[in-house]
Amino acid sequence: MSILAYNGGAMLAMKGDGCVSIAADKRYGIQMQTVGTNFQKIFEMGPHLYVGLPGLATDTQTVMEKMRFRKNLYELKENRRISPKVMASLLSNMLYEKRFGPFFVEPIVAGLDPITYEPFICNMDLIGCINKPEEFVVGGTASAQLYGMCESVWEPNLGPEDLFETTSQALMNAFDRDAISGWGAVVYIIEKIR
Amino acid sequence: MATERYSFSLTTFSPSGKLVQIEYALAAVAAGAPSVGIKASNGIVIATENKHKSILYEEHSVHKVEMVTNHIGMVYSGMGPDYRLLVKQARKMAQQYFLVYREPIPTVQLVQRVAAVMQEYTQSGGVRPFGVSLLICGWDNNRPYLFQCDPSGAYFAWKATAMGKNYVNGKTFLEKRFSEDLELDDAVHTAILTLKESFEGQLTADNIEIGICDQNGFRRLEPSHVKDYLANIP
Amino acid sequence: MALAEVCGMQDYMLPRRENYLNDEIFKMSLNFTNNAALGIPPMIGAIGTTADFTKDDNGKELKIHFDHGTTTLGFMYKNGIVLAVDSRATGGQFIGSQTMKKIVEINNFLLGTLAGGAADCVYWDRVLAKQCRMYELRNRERISVAAASKLMANMVYNYKGMGLSMGMMLAGWDKRGPQLYYVDSEGTRTPGKIFSVGSGSIYAFGVLDSGYKWDLSDQEAYDLGRRSIYHATHRDSASGGIVRVYHMQETGWVHIDDNDCNDLHYKYLEEKNQV
Repeated sequence: MSILAYNGGAMLAMKGDGCVSIAADKRYGIQMQTVGTNFQKIFEMGPHLYVGLPGLATDTQTVMEKMRFRKNLYELKENRRISPKVMASLLSNMLYEKRFGPFFVEPIVAGLDPITYEPFICNMDLIGCINKPEEFVVGGTASAQLYGMCESVWEPNLGPEDLFETTSQALMNAFDRDAISGWGAVVYIIEKIR
Repeated sequence: MATERYSFSLTTFSPSGKLVQIEYALAAVAAGAPSVGIKASNGIVIATENKHKSILYEEHSVHKVEMVTNHIGMVYSGMGPDYRLLVKQARKMAQQYFLVYREPIPTVQLVQRVAAVMQEYTQSGGVRPFGVSLLICGWDNNRPYLFQCDPSGAYFAWKATAMGKNYVNGKTFLEKRFSEDLELDDAVHTAILTLKESFEGQLTADNIEIGICDQNGFRRLEPSHVKDYLANIP
Repeated sequence: MALAEVCGMQDYMLPRRENYLNDEIFKMSLNFTNNAALGIPPMIGAIGTTADFTKDDNGKELKIHFDHGTTTLGFMYKNGIVLAVDSRATGGQFIGSQTMKKIVEINNFLLGTLAGGAADCVYWDRVLAKQCRMYELRNRERISVAAASKLMANMVYNYKGMGLSMGMMLAGWDKRGPQLYYVDSEGTRTPGKIFSVGSGSIYAFGVLDSGYKWDLSDQEAYDLGRRSIYHATHRDSASGGIVRVYHMQETGWVHIDDNDCNDLHYKYLEEKNQV
């Protein structure tokens, strides 16, 4: 059994028209045993920037703290907000630093550029290989189911309300077929004005 | 006696609170070839003298104006060898930044980091301060930047400035000639005029170097291009 | 060719070929005629050494997941036996079904629960149902639960060590009254008052043991069974879906109700908040 599937969890992010969504389940388990149903794995990294870290729960928290540390240093040094693109590169570098003893998380970055408000989503593998598709990204133990859902329900130029509905349906129907995901969910919609 | 008192580190405070080594370094800069930098509305120009003592010297082979990264360039007054080390470091820092953030380094960031290196050489054992002052120009955030970096690690943001031999005259000249709505072409012209103020002999395309930076990036002007500008100099 | 035809060789060969084929078909489908006889894999030292189906020639783990996780329970009380089960079928972490029937109605007075390999349980319950019906026809009376459970235990014992995976409860009402047996693929067969079987059984036991009394009323008993399964589905990811409750009475079994786990979750939550 993969260490990435030790705690379970499902996550996805979608691009819409001038907005992005990111959503995840809330289960925290140890293999097939459900320990908690209110586990946070999506983190606010700015007013228009969210990072999700599905995978091994202990690494979710460690990577989040290391990432927040580097992000804060960047924002202080440069006196400006970090953009989703830079956040992704920063994370990618941080993960590759541990190429031979990686953190077991497969991060998803979702947000709007702080200046242009251009939508941005990406995901990466556990050693930081970035993937930047135009539609959606998925992660976690229900990724196969999520791909199936997203592939069939996603469409271009969704507004914030429709994007919320699409994201929620994709997530719920996906983790209903995964034993180690579910038990509540959280959905973020990121728009220019919030 | 004086040598004994300050010998454990080269840059040690004198009883009156001065770091004489840094003052000597600044003196080395003030004795060096003049250079100027002027910010225009649509770009920046940096220029310097590149005079050769012998006619045997091969011009246009060793440069004083250098590109650091696509949108940043620099020039110096003072000691050439020290400058080349800083150029190397600056280029490395720019690439390191790009590697981590996948974004060109902001000019301010580069200046801060180069200044940090220069400062380190005022407080470490077994080293001496750099004998150069740098003019760093860059274009990012859709606007021009011009900075001066001193051996102490201090840095300043200028609209226009002069360094090196006769820099006081150069600055006075710039104060008279500078205006906010200068175009880049005019700024190049003004820079040449500033150099001419203190130049001994005839300005030619072979004894000055000019670099310009605008939204297309940084480049060093070809001698032929410099010649065109010189044609307009009275 | 011509010579063979002239000599009638083709007629000579034909019956042998047919025989050979029939023989082959017979060998490959033993359980058409005898349900309790399964095909043995054509490997050396078949019995005893072929249990390891989960590894290939190089000892690498094969990706064969049998449906495994389950929670089932059964307990006896003054008015008979309550059986309660979940309905989730998982293969690894994948949820194959949320609506599986894990209580098999063998006949009007016999119920079997399934846990472990779904195919194993379903197949052997089917064979057992046939055997029980045969017994009834031959002896003009219903089979006792003790006998039925022993039939089951003996059948699966023949395949011990070959990878069968099942843990089942048999509940029935015969002339000696209500009976509850536990039978598994290791060969265990034991009567008892309270059982819970499957990956969620540890959680179910926690609720069941603390709420169990012999003098439970019918409603209390149903609710205890339901609650126990619900709490198991809450903690055990391999259990879930629908909680099904059956009651074995003197007049035969009664299907009490089916409840979706999610509905129960919110129902119990509301009750908790009211207190």
